Amino acid sequence: MHSPRYLSLLMLAPALCLLALLTVYPLGRSLLLSFFATEYGFEGASFVGTENYTYLFDDSFFRTATWNTVAFTLMATVSEVALGLMLALMVTRSFPGRWAVIPALVAPYVLSTMVVTAIWSAWFHYDFGFLNNALRAAALPPVEWLFDPDLAMISLVLVDLWQTAPLTFLILLAGMQAIPLEVYEAARIDGASPKQILITITLPLLLPHIMLAALLRSIDSFKIFDKVYALTGGGPGQATETLSMFVYRLGFRFFDVGLASAAAVIMVIVAGLLAALYARNIIRSGSDVA
Amino acid sequence: MNRLTTTVMAGAMVMSSAFTGVAQAEKLVIAGRDGGYGDALELAVEAYLAKNPGLEVERLELTGGGLLEKVTISMREKSGAYDVIMLDDPWAVEFMSKGWLADLDKLGGGVGEDFVKPARDVSRYPVGSGPFYAVPFVGNVELFAYRKDLFDKYNLGRPESWTDVLAAAKTISENEGGVSGAVFRGKKANPIVTGFLPILWAHGARVVGADGEARLDSAAALEALNLYLELKNYAPKGIETYNSTEVRDALMQGTTAMTIELWPSWAPSLDDPAKSKVPGKIEIMAAPGQVQGPAPMLGSWLLAVPADAKNPEQARDFIDFLTSAEMQKTLALEIGIPPTRSSVYKDPEVIAKYRWYPAQVEALQNAQPRPRITQWSKVEAILGDYLQLALIGEMPAEKALSEANKKIARALSR
Repeated sequence: MHSPRYLSLLMLAPALCLLALLTVYPLGRSLLLSFFATEYGFEGASFVGTENYTYLFDDSFFRTATWNTVAFTLMATVSEVALGLMLALMVTRSFPGRWAVIPALVAPYVLSTMVVTAIWSAWFHYDFGFLNNALRAAALPPVEWLFDPDLAMISLVLVDLWQTAPLTFLILLAGMQAIPLEVYEAARIDGASPKQILITITLPLLLPHIMLAALLRSIDSFKIFDKVYALTGGGPGQATETLSMFVYRLGFRFFDVGLASAAAVIMVIVAGLLAALYARNIIRSGSDVA
Repeated sequence: MNRLTTTVMAGAMVMSSAFTGVAQAEKLVIAGRDGGYGDALELAVEAYLAKNPGLEVERLELTGGGLLEKVTISMREKSGAYDVIMLDDPWAVEFMSKGWLADLDKLGGGVGEDFVKPARDVSRYPVGSGPFYAVPFVGNVELFAYRKDLFDKYNLGRPESWTDVLAAAKTISENEGGVSGAVFRGKKANPIVTGFLPILWAHGARVVGADGEARLDSAAALEALNLYLELKNYAPKGIETYNSTEVRDALMQGTTAMTIELWPSWAPSLDDPAKSKVPGKIEIMAAPGQVQGPAPMLGSWLLAVPADAKNPEQARDFIDFLTSAEMQKTLALEIGIPPTRSSVYKDPEVIAKYRWYPAQVEALQNAQPRPRITQWSKVEAILGDYLQLALIGEMPAEKALSEANKKIARALSR
């Protein structure tokens, strides 16, 4: 007779095999390749030790891409969680037409990124775009949304915010609806104002959901690629070059696979640290709430 | 035999005949470009299918970057995914030198003398002397275009040097409302580099020297880049994002006086009043010189059969059909694809439609290819990054050239 331990291992085996095949093997291979100069795999590769890492830390483009990625992650995560929270607070109460407002708010999230970037590319057009036409109609000067190096990253955040704020909105709305109504009733009976209820009841009880939304968005934002690829190509100059774009260009345009692997390993380490930090806080705030 | 056995056997026979049918169907997989090139391939494929009704053709339409990425990965993995691939001529060196392409001489037919020499030369490896690994399909050569009416209006002569171009751009930009002095492709990577190279070459500078070393850190290169950056003052806003569509639109909408880079396939309708606001007013010539005479850049697109193609004979036959004089004439007249055969350039019907073809074929006969090095794609991407940093003012010209030179040297050494 098998012990429960063996049974649980047996049940987990398919998932563990998939994890090993799809995550552990590529990561291990990338880690190994990062110590080689190679155009493709190990065939004809020459061992270079830590040279790829040294080169990357010395490369101003890599530093710029790292900074851009961190800046995008912070801006996108904070703005998306904040907007999602505001929308959830607005929609959590019943009001006429609520049934139509929620699907309308969620709509951008169901669009594919390529469709989203096509829409925004047209809106951002300097001469004919909707945004600059609106500015001109308001007697304001048009804006160089995608080709001003100081503004291009913010434009990308705007697109990301439009597309993915619905996700944070849904997470936080679900969180709010899970808060027992009795808690609010008791607070009102005790004479708490709406502001006090928000600060002392809603936000603390919603914290695990806020952390979850922030975790999901920051991990996703950290690996931003598609919007950059489709809207700016990393430009103007290096203004919107992110780590994913950097790795893609090294790997698939330059076929400098060793260097691309080293950059990918650094990305994984940073993303892993970020995820661990959030996970720790989520677990802690979850147990506090419990 | 019971009913179950009969049913199983009948099913097996049906499946077997179905799979045999699939296996027997000839299939050609073509990886090509999008836009006008895609339209040309579509037209040619339809004509070819009419002659080969049993054939199945799968055609991929890709952007330049997407095509390079897909075919390179396929060649490296030896996946045998494609039977015919389209290649920009600077990519061809790597593909030929690494043995990724089939020897077309061995597949039969060779490449005839009717094809213009520079395009013919880059179709063989070693360049100009080895066996043919490709057939020239698009006879692109980098040209220069200007508005003759505006030049006449401001008493400006035909621009013979880049200094003339700059002076004319300044004059027209400052005096002609709604018209920029010059337009060019400022987008990163290949677009910005191809726009800049004729200026660099005319100044006597090179990206890679004859010795294979990086040579961008020269006074001549700096002078060329400074001139290029000065031209931006007379270019439309957002030039950093301009690609071929924007350049063509500016030219045909009459909102620019010059384009420093015009590829024939971009603008077959320059004289069509339905499409152009300035028909008959645009003059086309080889790019101006500076310390050296004009050196038009070759931009040929080639067709090749991968060494691992599953249907090489059929692929070779399709390439012959596509590059025949008859099909080249059809593609020139109907789509505006510049031919690679000298005989097509002499065809009266073709010349009647495109008045600039005699000048174009002359430029094509004297065209210079980009450096024949296996790392050109990488070198071009590096140069494109730094040129754009200089163009948007994020990096001084001298530093941009010096940094680009360092990275190019590293790329060449690996």
